[in-house]
Amino acid sequence: MHNFLKKNNLGFYMVTFSEQELAKVKEIISHYPEGKQKSALLPVLHLAQDTFGGWLSTETMDYVAGLLSIEPIEVYEVATFYSMYNLKPMGKYVFEVCQTGPCMIVGSDNIIAYIGSKLGIRPGETTSDGMFSLKTVECLGACGYAPMMQLGKHYREHLTPEKVDAIIAECRNNAAAQN
Amino acid sequence: MGVQLLLEKVKVEGIRHYDVYRREGGYRSVEKALKQMSPEAIVEEVKKSGLRGRGGAGFPAGMKWSFIAKPEGVPRHLVCNADESEPGTFKDRYLMEFIPHLLIEGLIVSSYALGSNDTYIYIRGEYAWIADILETAIEEAKANGMLGKNILQSGFDCNIYVHRGAGAYICGEETALIESLEGKRGNPRIKPPFPAVQGVWMRPTVVNNVETLAAVVPIINNGGEEYAKIGVGKSTGTKLISACGNINRPGVYEIDMTISVEEFIYSDEFCGGIANGKRLKACIPGGSSVPILPANLLLKTAKGETRLMNYESLSDGGFVSGSMMGSGGFIVLDEDQCIVKNTYTLTRFYRHESCGQCSPCREGTGWMEKILWRLENGEGKESDIDLLWDIQRRIEGNTICPLGDAAAWPVAAAIRHFRDEFEWHVHEPLEAKRRNYGLAHYADPIHVPVAM
Repeated sequence: MHNFLKKNNLGFYMVTFSEQELAKVKEIISHYPEGKQKSALLPVLHLAQDTFGGWLSTETMDYVAGLLSIEPIEVYEVATFYSMYNLKPMGKYVFEVCQTGPCMIVGSDNIIAYIGSKLGIRPGETTSDGMFSLKTVECLGACGYAPMMQLGKHYREHLTPEKVDAIIAECRNNAAAQN
Repeated sequence: MGVQLLLEKVKVEGIRHYDVYRREGGYRSVEKALKQMSPEAIVEEVKKSGLRGRGGAGFPAGMKWSFIAKPEGVPRHLVCNADESEPGTFKDRYLMEFIPHLLIEGLIVSSYALGSNDTYIYIRGEYAWIADILETAIEEAKANGMLGKNILQSGFDCNIYVHRGAGAYICGEETALIESLEGKRGNPRIKPPFPAVQGVWMRPTVVNNVETLAAVVPIINNGGEEYAKIGVGKSTGTKLISACGNINRPGVYEIDMTISVEEFIYSDEFCGGIANGKRLKACIPGGSSVPILPANLLLKTAKGETRLMNYESLSDGGFVSGSMMGSGGFIVLDEDQCIVKNTYTLTRFYRHESCGQCSPCREGTGWMEKILWRLENGEGKESDIDLLWDIQRRIEGNTICPLGDAAAWPVAAAIRHFRDEFEWHVHEPLEAKRRNYGLAHYADPIHVPVAM
């Protein structure tokens, strides 16, 4: 059980931000005019996804709606529109590989196939140990440094099979170090 | 190397930080603007400069600014469009990542000109680390009195906020961006009302591209007339080009819009020629939305004139034999590339990115993707090519925002110039799976008749 899940007085587990995260939410809301706190929705959803396990559950979205005093549906319709919000649990490490034209012409298909065979998953799937997800994405604005993928907050560029091997090893090492 | 107005200092050690940037002459335009110039005078300078929007449409920036409504008591906003998502385009990223204070400086001057006390940078969500770089730059500028209250004792207050998107190409369209900034789905609005009258939170708003706002800095420092002397015709100043594909030196280059396309591709100063000794087949010169051109029409116009890297020359011949400067995303394809497959991936992109509001775009992009998949995978019919042509024509001009056009144009141009390659996929499906069509006549230095 994740440490952000707390029991409420009815005995249900609830998602809750820490004091520090709530202060961050307040700071984000202050960027927008009085009464326009809905504008904070995208940044707050990013924060929620980063905090609550890398995806947005219905509970998480309802919680965010409450924080911004908007209806849950207003959160759902936004969360389902933008490709960066995950609506189901993802692996600990998500390989988001670009497959659009400029990446394709310098070999992104081969990189996607290589990652797939290396991890034994197809695009859209997660390894059974929950360690890796493979996701194909559309243009990430790194066309001159292709083939490329996004891993967490950063881009990994000029990918080759050797680089992919090294990235997989790096993720496994990081995961082992955290346990 | 030609004139460098934006990237001249980009390689200076530590330029990402305020102290170094300031020492190298940064923030002079803020001093000049806030101490010596009226907001109207700044708008005038930008008009005189001939600066055109660098996001893709090429609309004159000074004119756009002059449209902003100024109703009494209603705040106005400047929003910087950093939602760079057009395939082939990665120039704004480079500018923001390596010389962020140039954008902040341009934003302060532009905010003063437009009367925006709260200015926003809407940056694509994937550029997460660049959002951090910008926030650091904003903090530094604030700590040095360039942002916040009463900047340089001018009485002008300004804050800049970074707002991250979350993965949606459509939010680069200004009204979709505004919706997204309001915390909604990125569905473009019907115009009018234009953002200059009713934009974010129904307040007068100007949305400008990163590079456009950065260009305000040299315009104010040197004067609009000096800026207009660089370049040719209505293509004034310098332009950032992000070059990618099958070239030896992919990257971001600042050009003064007087060089030829041929020089840009083959000179070691820029793309450095086609990679692996291959030959040039085709090029999408201004981001994935603009028409693809075969080599022969890329290097010379249909009239046989040398094609130059500027707004007028790239569009010479209209869509029949020309293309567009667009966002400056320069995608080069060598002789081994398959036009059908390339068009398929671009169409998949537009299907993925269509917001779904308008039926022609929502349905049409999906149909085109399916048909192109069929053609690419040896299951196409001869009639599919005409069907594709028909669909793209019915999308173009029939949608609220230009995404429909952007999805239609690449398909139209691919069929127009490479119809024989599509037909080959239909007639020789097994062969088409084994190998690519190759150069055909596209690289011949002769005029290719227009197919349709």
